[in-house]
Amino acid sequence: MTDREILLKKIGTLKFALTDIGIFLDTHPGDAAMIKKRDEYRRELMPLVERYEQQYGPLTKPQNTTNTWTWVKDPWPWDMEG
Amino acid sequence: MFVYEKQLQYPIRIKQTNPALAKIIITQYGGPDGELGASMRYLSQRFTMPLPELRATLTDIGTEELNHLEMVGAIVYQLTRDLSEEEIKKAGFDAYFVDHTAGVYPNSASGVPWTAAAIAVKGDPITDLHESLAAEQKARTTYDNILRFCDDPDVIDPIRFLRAREVVHYQRFGENLRLLTDKLDSKNFYAFNPSFDKKCFNKQQNKK
Repeated sequence: MTDREILLKKIGTLKFALTDIGIFLDTHPGDAAMIKKRDEYRRELMPLVERYEQQYGPLTKPQNTTNTWTWVKDPWPWDMEG
Repeated sequence: MFVYEKQLQYPIRIKQTNPALAKIIITQYGGPDGELGASMRYLSQRFTMPLPELRATLTDIGTEELNHLEMVGAIVYQLTRDLSEEEIKKAGFDAYFVDHTAGVYPNSASGVPWTAAAIAVKGDPITDLHESLAAEQKARTTYDNILRFCDDPDVIDPIRFLRAREVVHYQRFGENLRLLTDKLDSKNFYAFNPSFDKKCFNKQQNKK
């Protein structure tokens, strides 16, 4: 795995945890401990996303900080080489 | 509103093409119990749900299914990259190939195009939640059937991830059904449509 892929995997793991906790909270909206856990993961995720986007390009469209449209840059998610 | 994130929910990296396997896995892209149908079912059922927890669950699971649709599409795409005519013929991929080349088209393993006829939106939350619970189990069975034909760890790994999500979603929909029946008359949950006959909620509150 390249450095880019390792970083992307860390981001993906944290994002997945947030998705899973989010759906859990939909049926347990009063679970304060789980909300705290979610905040912890979010705090862990933010700097990783920032680092990734600075080095490799945007993960979501609004994150375009240069004067070229980096959104079009390869690779697209389904195009990871084996 | 939906925002695209340029990342799969779970990474797909398949080294070895296998068009015969693509032909059966595509059923989770556009087949009767596939991810497209799952997403359309939940995102459509949510509008008339009578409780906020239920609206949230169907919105979030319906959205997650779009991640899964993209993952299954990526699996099919990577299994059919750079094929030779000989490989296509040998794998029995020729019938799909003449219609779609190596494009990813939402159809079932038997070639039936995706159809809304395989999903239901009844406008009754008890009916719709049972439909959604059954849908998760049908998708789980389909992934189990797919796993019977997989011997490539690059494919098995993400398919197992997708299978596990069906189990988690089933749990959440079960909780949805319980949250709903907790607010209804326990002597007869099925006397009313809680989305249409709003009095069934008032009746319960009057008793307290």
